[in-house]
Parts: sequence; structure tokens; C-alpha cells
Amino acid sequence: MAPSTEMLQTLWRADSRLSKYNPLPRILFFDDFDEGVNGWCELLGNHDNNLDNIKPRTRDPRPAQLSNCSFFDIGTHGAVDGIYALKLATRPRANHMAQLIKRLTYVKRGLVQLETYFTYKAEPVFDDSVETPRQWDGNYHPVEAMFGEFTISNDVNDGPDGERHHSVLRYVNTDREGNLVKKWMYKTSLQVTTKMQLDGVSTPDDWHTVHPDDWEEVPGGQFSLCHNEVPTKINWHYLRWQFDTENRRNVELQINDRVMDLRQIPVPVYDHTYYSCDRLLNFIFDVRTFLPVRNFLFLDSVLVSVDW
Amino acid sequence: MLRRSHTAVLEKNEIHASDFATEPYETGWASEAIWFVRVTEASGDDVKLRAHLQISPDGIFWTDRDDQPLELDGCGQACLSVRDFGSWLRLRVEIEGENPSVKLMVYLALKE
Repeated sequence: MAPSTEMLQTLWRADSRLSKYNPLPRILFFDDFDEGVNGWCELLGNHDNNLDNIKPRTRDPRPAQLSNCSFFDIGTHGAVDGIYALKLATRPRANHMAQLIKRLTYVKRGLVQLETYFTYKAEPVFDDSVETPRQWDGNYHPVEAMFGEFTISNDVNDGPDGERHHSVLRYVNTDREGNLVKKWMYKTSLQVTTKMQLDGVSTPDDWHTVHPDDWEEVPGGQFSLCHNEVPTKINWHYLRWQFDTENRRNVELQINDRVMDLRQIPVPVYDHTYYSCDRLLNFIFDVRTFLPVRNFLFLDSVLVSVDW
Repeated sequence: MLRRSHTAVLEKNEIHASDFATEPYETGWASEAIWFVRVTEASGDDVKLRAHLQISPDGIFWTDRDDQPLELDGCGQACLSVRDFGSWLRLRVEIEGENPSVKLMVYLALKE
């Protein structure tokens, strides 16, 4: 007999590491980054063993780091639980994106829910080489406008008997000029794969879309996160993202107390099939900078659960 | 419990014609590390690569350690092992020669 929801919740809430999450009935994985990278690795583009043949935008997504969240002014911050967080770090180069992926396959199509506690920062800049529109006033710090955006997405492919799609949600902190935007967006076009580029589609400016403007606002998705003034205070945010691989749709995105209904948002589907990716179920985080300033995304832990 | 280990690829077929430093990498959890540098293509005369180990308290301000640098003349692979390095590591790489250019891979293998 399957355990009841009440029984599972009682068990999870007795575990201090799990009690801050709200899983669906079966936990697929729980990644505490005090224990290692747990399968989160660099999403390098496809190649034929010659790394020179990796297409631009996918050739340098940077390795995973285990960070103790240390800063120049206070030393070690640590994570929500324990010391270490998974860290994505861009190069200090405009339009550079760092991207990590965790690769599984699915046992059954249905609801999938990813939860995490995250925080984000741009690296402190100690000279006047980077300018943004607003000046420091004792509360606002210009480094807030040096963080571009971060994105959470999946890659789901059924195989020859189905279709492939990516559900993608992006928090746009600034535009490319450093003006604060602070909106969640969803994409409206396909990710241009290596195969599509070899078939003649142009290399995109944005890894996720054909054109950089192929994004729409998520209803109810305009709000600030807790940047907390300076580049060295990190406040962890709860994120819960649920998607449906049966219907190839997003379901909900929750950031702390804000819940965005995503059921009506369209998700682009490829019109062609992909070889050797049967039952693919991948989870992806990325962060992009628009300035010559390193941007960081930190994850304390990640929990993915399913409804089967 | 088996000891945790992790390999990061810091440079992937990047081409450098002048001195550079690898991106900062967090290593606070590890107690030993080995750098591998492989030059896959080199052009120019008398091309020599010399990589110095650097450590940092914060990933921003760096200092050389007095280790023997990793050295390569033209193409090939060399390694540099290190202990007692704190929370951050990078390589400060000098490229010498006449009109030098190198294409290289840089790996950092860490162990608890």
C-alpha cells in the first residue's frame, strides 16, 4: 500500500534538511551540495571530439563549483544548511553565460517539481571601469545592476514516439544597458541546437531562443528579489517550479510567497525528432552577465519530486 | 565514505597570445589538487609557457605561492601538484617567445 500524503509529510518534516521543501509524493533526488556536485555539470555543446567544432554560445559554460560563499569583507557566509552551495560563475565578459545541467531519463510522464533555495550576486568591482545608471546612496548599491539574469529550464524528449521541448523561465534583473527590469519571462521560440545550426540556422545571441527578443512576461512575474544592498550579503530565496511532461506545459512557479500560474503559457515544441535522447529528462540552471563583471548563481540544495 | 574528488576544465581549446590568468576556482573543500596543462597547438619561435600557482582569500586579490612553476616548451602536457591552498586557486600564465600563440586545455583535479 502506498503511504498517505500525511504520512510522507510527517516523515519529511522530521528531517530538518527536507522540512523546508514541499515535495510531490516521490522524491526523485535531493542534492545537498555539502555532499558534492551531485551530477550537476557543465552543459557543453555537441562536438565530434574536436572541441573547436563546438558552436559559439555552447563552448564555454564553465565548470560547477562548490562554494563556501566567502566574500572579501566578511569571509565565509556558508549556505542555508552546512557550508557549501553549488555555484555557477560567468566569465567577466559581456553576454557570457554559465550553465549547469543534471541529466536523467524519465520513468513516467506526469508532474515534475523542482525546488531549491537560491541566491545571486555580481562580483564586486573596485574601480570605475563599469558604470551603471544609479549611484550608491547608502542603501542602493550599483552592483545590483551589474547582475544580468538567470534562467531555469528543462529538456524533455520522448523519443521516436513523441516530441522534444524545453520549458524555460528567466528572471531578467537588468537589460543590457544595466537598467533594472526585475521580471520573470518565458520564451517563445526553440533553443537552436547544434543539429539546427549545422542544418543552416544562424548561431543565436541567446542560447535559449532563435532571436534575443523571443521572450514574453510571465503574468504576475514583475517583482524584486532580495538583493540586500551590497555585493556580499546573500539572502536565500525559495523557488518551486512545477511542470507537466504529459502535457508539455509549465504548471506553476513559486518564489517565496508569490505563485505564478503558468498553465496557459505556450511551450515551443520541435518539429523534428532527436536521435539517442529517448525519455530524456534534464534540468538546467544558467546565469548570464551583460557587463565585464562575473555574475554568480548559488544553490543551497535542489530537490526534485514527481507524482508517480 | 569514499573521498570526494572533482575535475574541472578551466580552459577548453582557448588560444592565448599573451599572459593571462585562469578563472578563479573555489577549492575550500579539497585538500589536494593537481593542475594539468596541455598545449595542443603552438606557433611562433621559442614558445614557452610558464604557469605560476596563485592563491587568494576571496577570489579577487591574488598572490603567487613559491611553488616551482609548471613549464612547457611548445606542445605537450605538464602537471603541478599542490596542497595547503585555502579556498581559491588559479594559474597565472606567462607566454614567452617571438609572436607566440598557444591553444591549450587546463584541468584542475581536486581531492578531499
